[in-house]
Amino acid sequence: MARDPKHDILFEPIQIGPKTLRNRFYQVPHCNGAGSEKPGMQAYNRGMKAEGGWAGVCTEYCSISPESDDTSRVSARIWDEGDVRNLAAMCDRLHDFGALAGIEMWYGGPHAPCMETRATPRGPSQIPSEFEINIHPRHMDEDDIVEVQQMYVDAALRAQEAGFDIVYVYGAHSYLPLQFLSPFYNKRTDRYGGSFENRARFWKECLEKVREAVGDDCAIASRFAVDTLYGSSGIQVGEDGVRFVEYVDELVDLWDLTVGDIAEWGQNAGPSRFFEENHEKPFTGQIKAGDHTNKPVVGVGRITNPDTMVAIIKSGQFDIIGAARPSISDPFLPNKISEGRLDDVRECIGCNQCISRWEIGGPPLVCTQNATAGEEYRRGWHPEKFHPAANRDRGVLVIGAGPAGMECAMVLGKREMAAVHLVEAGKEIGGCVNWISLLGHSDGKENLARGTARGLGEWTRIVNYRQIQLDKLTNVEVHTGSKLSAQDVLDYGAEIVIVATGCHFATDGLNPATHAPIEGADASLDWQLTPDEVVAGTKTIGNRVLVLENEGYFMGASVAQKLAGAGHEVHLLTQMGDIAGYMEYTLEAPMLHRDLHRLGVNIRPYTMLEKIEPGACHAYNVWHEAHKEVFEVDTVVLCTQRQSNDELYRELKSDKRRLQAEGIENVFLIGDASAPRMIVDSIFDGHRLAREIDSPNPAMPLPFIRERRLWGEASNDDYRSQLLNTPDVVVA
Amino acid sequence: MAGILVLAEARRGELREVSFELIGAALELKPYAGDRLVVALLDAGAPGHAAALAADGVDEVLTVTVPVAQFEAHVAGRALEALIEQEAPELVIAAHSIDALGFAPAVAASQGLGFASDVTGLGWDDGGPVAMRGAYGDKLIAEYDFPGKSCTLLLLRAGTFAAVDAGPGSAPARAVELELSELARTEHLGYEEVAEGDVDITKADFLLSIGRGIEEQDNIAQFKELAQRFGATLSVSRPLVDAGWMPGARQVGQSGKTVKPRVYLALGISGAVQHLAGMRTAETIIAVNTDPEAPIFSVAHYGAVVDMFELADELEQALG
Amino acid sequence: MKIVVPVKQVAALDDECELLGDGSGVDPDGLEWELNEWDTFSLEAALALREAAGEGEVVAITVGDEEAEEGLLSALAKGADRGLRIWDDELAGAAPDALAVARVLAAAVGRESPDLVLCGVQSSDAVNSATGVALAGHLGLAHVAVVKGLERDGSALTVERELEGGLVERLRVALPALLTIQTGINEPRYATLRAIKQARQKPLELQTLADLGLDGAQVASASGSRRRRLAPPDRGGGAEMLDGSIAEVAARIASLVKERLG
Repeated sequence: MARDPKHDILFEPIQIGPKTLRNRFYQVPHCNGAGSEKPGMQAYNRGMKAEGGWAGVCTEYCSISPESDDTSRVSARIWDEGDVRNLAAMCDRLHDFGALAGIEMWYGGPHAPCMETRATPRGPSQIPSEFEINIHPRHMDEDDIVEVQQMYVDAALRAQEAGFDIVYVYGAHSYLPLQFLSPFYNKRTDRYGGSFENRARFWKECLEKVREAVGDDCAIASRFAVDTLYGSSGIQVGEDGVRFVEYVDELVDLWDLTVGDIAEWGQNAGPSRFFEENHEKPFTGQIKAGDHTNKPVVGVGRITNPDTMVAIIKSGQFDIIGAARPSISDPFLPNKISEGRLDDVRECIGCNQCISRWEIGGPPLVCTQNATAGEEYRRGWHPEKFHPAANRDRGVLVIGAGPAGMECAMVLGKREMAAVHLVEAGKEIGGCVNWISLLGHSDGKENLARGTARGLGEWTRIVNYRQIQLDKLTNVEVHTGSKLSAQDVLDYGAEIVIVATGCHFATDGLNPATHAPIEGADASLDWQLTPDEVVAGTKTIGNRVLVLENEGYFMGASVAQKLAGAGHEVHLLTQMGDIAGYMEYTLEAPMLHRDLHRLGVNIRPYTMLEKIEPGACHAYNVWHEAHKEVFEVDTVVLCTQRQSNDELYRELKSDKRRLQAEGIENVFLIGDASAPRMIVDSIFDGHRLAREIDSPNPAMPLPFIRERRLWGEASNDDYRSQLLNTPDVVVA
Repeated sequence: MAGILVLAEARRGELREVSFELIGAALELKPYAGDRLVVALLDAGAPGHAAALAADGVDEVLTVTVPVAQFEAHVAGRALEALIEQEAPELVIAAHSIDALGFAPAVAASQGLGFASDVTGLGWDDGGPVAMRGAYGDKLIAEYDFPGKSCTLLLLRAGTFAAVDAGPGSAPARAVELELSELARTEHLGYEEVAEGDVDITKADFLLSIGRGIEEQDNIAQFKELAQRFGATLSVSRPLVDAGWMPGARQVGQSGKTVKPRVYLALGISGAVQHLAGMRTAETIIAVNTDPEAPIFSVAHYGAVVDMFELADELEQALG
Repeated sequence: MKIVVPVKQVAALDDECELLGDGSGVDPDGLEWELNEWDTFSLEAALALREAAGEGEVVAITVGDEEAEEGLLSALAKGADRGLRIWDDELAGAAPDALAVARVLAAAVGRESPDLVLCGVQSSDAVNSATGVALAGHLGLAHVAVVKGLERDGSALTVERELEGGLVERLRVALPALLTIQTGINEPRYATLRAIKQARQKPLELQTLADLGLDGAQVASASGSRRRRLAPPDRGGGAEMLDGSIAEVAARIASLVKERLG
């Protein structure tokens, strides 16, 4: 297939300082959980994007000093020669694939709690971080300022040594340089505070010094939040935003623009639930539009559509298409556009699961759409390469075409199994995505702070992509509208059976708080519902509704949003300290809370139900059971927990001799049917089984490389040898 | 052996519009085919049709009395055979319609005629007709001729050839009596209008499709009504399904449904590749978008760079 | 009851498909083959009738080369009892048109003396919509085209004919008869892996023209047309842009639509 000529513009090289990007696809700095202490993961995860065609690939935020330590969240570090050595692995790999390597030099100030290093962060004024707990910075006098600026210079020199082509002075998301620029942080009265030039001085001097140190060799980039969305108390694009760009334009070779700050950086990494593609345009789009810069500009906005990318460049909005999440979802996006293979692109769904793992602090990144994200090194998985399975003469029956089933069937197909039949009881494939994607709306009205509850429609891309891939696989057949009994499975003629039959919400109030059902809870009654019933619209919902949410992710809150948006009076209860706790990690919480409050939802944390009666729910406070309350409601929605639909599996397993007689070698259980989980993990589960379908015991995940310090002298092979018996490993 | 016989069509007492397209197509070839053009209609006695079919250029209109009011394939087939025997035309032109498909191929087979269906272009070469039609589902165009055939039967795609104005003209009408009783092999039990039910956009002849240009969910109602007035089925591009405004059953596109209607009217759809994949083989594509560079114009047959809302208002007026 | 189901293995052009230089055909490497979608519905209708009667035989017949064997195996896997493929070097040379195929099928179907022949309305590659009714013409069978509903009524069938504009006509036709079946009439079943494997054990015969008492000349003379050229569609200059006031554009669109819908 050939590239559509209208996309040619995306492949034109562009000069940034002394370097040239070979096309307009640029992976802006983003976290992946690798840092400098998992160099294999770092090199291979970033390298995959270079292999996939991204012209520029950056580290995550990279600490320039032990005073900038975000533990338990994982940043990269460039403190010493060991870090240089480890990050050089990433640079080498990127260069092998023809990409430029970027490093985002970071000093966090009060936003970096230094839990590992126990150092003292410094800041422009002594005001604690607005979101960390009890972290005060030390006030920087002029000696401190010189010392910290030298840290940038020293880090830049190490970066050059490691092989980095692009060196950032990183101020966006309200890190140190922006803390000087923004009156929200900077209350100084000396020459580094007060007037615009004074507030800009620190950042300007950093740029001057770094440029002097490495600017001949490296492109100097700066990441700048053109508007921190705090109004006049912060940076506003129309005021200091454009002004700052003009002020230091000569010192910058590449502008990397964002909005917002770190306290609510969901305004920058906008989840699809609230923000549409290219959502930062009203802010970051002003810089070039107003002729405020002579330098190349890269910006983001969860841009996944190649036609949008072309329009952005042609209209002059940006020069370079920046992407973090779209590059995680599909490292091969640029190559696929170049080859005209647009239907093979795996589009980001904006769920922010990748981000959530960093927010939690510690775990490696994950991706709903791309199960290989983070597994490139430790499991040797390549998103576009699959090795033929050693047992590919077997026929496979996959029962259930939800996320796990679709993914498993797809990967088995790509691994050249002789025949894969994916059989789905419903009329369409997609499983739970089909009804979950209908949630996320409220009343259609605009929210207080940019964006509207626009719903989870983009999550249907999970199904779209797999549908297209399954259609293309000639060894995979998909049959819908067919519910298989155990007898049907035994008669099917497959040697390998994979049960992916999903889960259902508990109907008796069984929950993680009390580990017991709730007296009177019964979703078979017409005034009690599970969330899927709310979406299906099969039961009438009365005016006053109580939603009990014990899972801690989006379900209860989304149901509350929907019903409140439709005009119901809604009480949303959770036994935890906050509703939808996990949505803090996906950056969806602030907008969600704004919406729920605007809609008048009565949010009740630390509250549990002990009894449900028609017209009344009896609740108590989890800290003091004597604090009781009765909610008079017409309808109850139970989002307490889910339970696997594993009857078919248990029935099949109950007669092992029968399985043998029918030639069935193995019966596996994956996804929610095995244990209810988040969609990202179901897809991973299906993917892993398919990758390891030809290992001696496919049900047990094979060991992966753990990048921990091995006592004594260790080589790269000592680590890699942990992977020898994985059939689908790509030899690097 | 000369001349063209056009088989007009009627249903439930009404002449079908396609009949005038068939006459128009025949007129183009009349000079080559012996300069005689006869129009025949199997008529259960509805008055006035003969006069309407006597358009300018028609030499004679034949009305064949049929024993029952409804179309019957075997009766129609025998009638066509008899007409061919009597008139000895070089070329018979009928519509590629449900009725004609029910008998024309059988006549062509049993009588050894030249034959082509779903014809979209006509010509004359080396003393005989040449027919163009799609191949591989309209991905390519194929050209056919009919060597050695003294009579060729062509079924023309409706909506492709320019229609002539109805008569009356100067052509005389003649009633033709044929022995057609006892030939019916099916028994008519009744007609039914199909209820709305679950929409299947792949079955619609006319899709009115809306996209992101609609901007807000509230605006959909206006286009739902317009579609209804126009006799179209409403379909959408993906952004409207993503936003939860319309069900997936109405989505045209690679991950939705592939459609091939007679007419696809796209309003406010820019034409993302995935959408084009779902509709590009529609027979007539009319695209309306305020962006003159919108990719949909590259597959559309007709386009207009106008605002879809203003157009909708005008269309409502034009439709009366 | 014996039901014959003629099927066709159809070609879909993949995106990379190329025309042969002389316009005589398409590069075969660019073709992907599968059982004609309409035939899955006619086959399902046949299987359902056999099941309802509790007895009977469903025979799948195709005119085609080795590629077509896959289509027959697919029909056998879904439940057809017997398969018959007809092919001959004489047919390989000139691609037989709908009438020629119908002539060949008529020879085979005639020998089967079926109670019912169920064809698909059309094939997705040639889209002639003619082979079924032409076959009825050769055999002298009662026929109804474009059937979207079907019920057995003793020795007759009550069928629904799908007309333009969403109208349906109900008819009765006595057996033996030939119907062409429209998509959507039923939910075609699929074959399990076991059925796919077992399909190879079912009788699948290959016959030549001579086996049917035909020769190449007869088939050639039964043909109704000759394809003399294959070319890419005329791209034209893109869309014809409609000018004028919005009212004029609207009027033009309304008349275009009216024209095109016939």
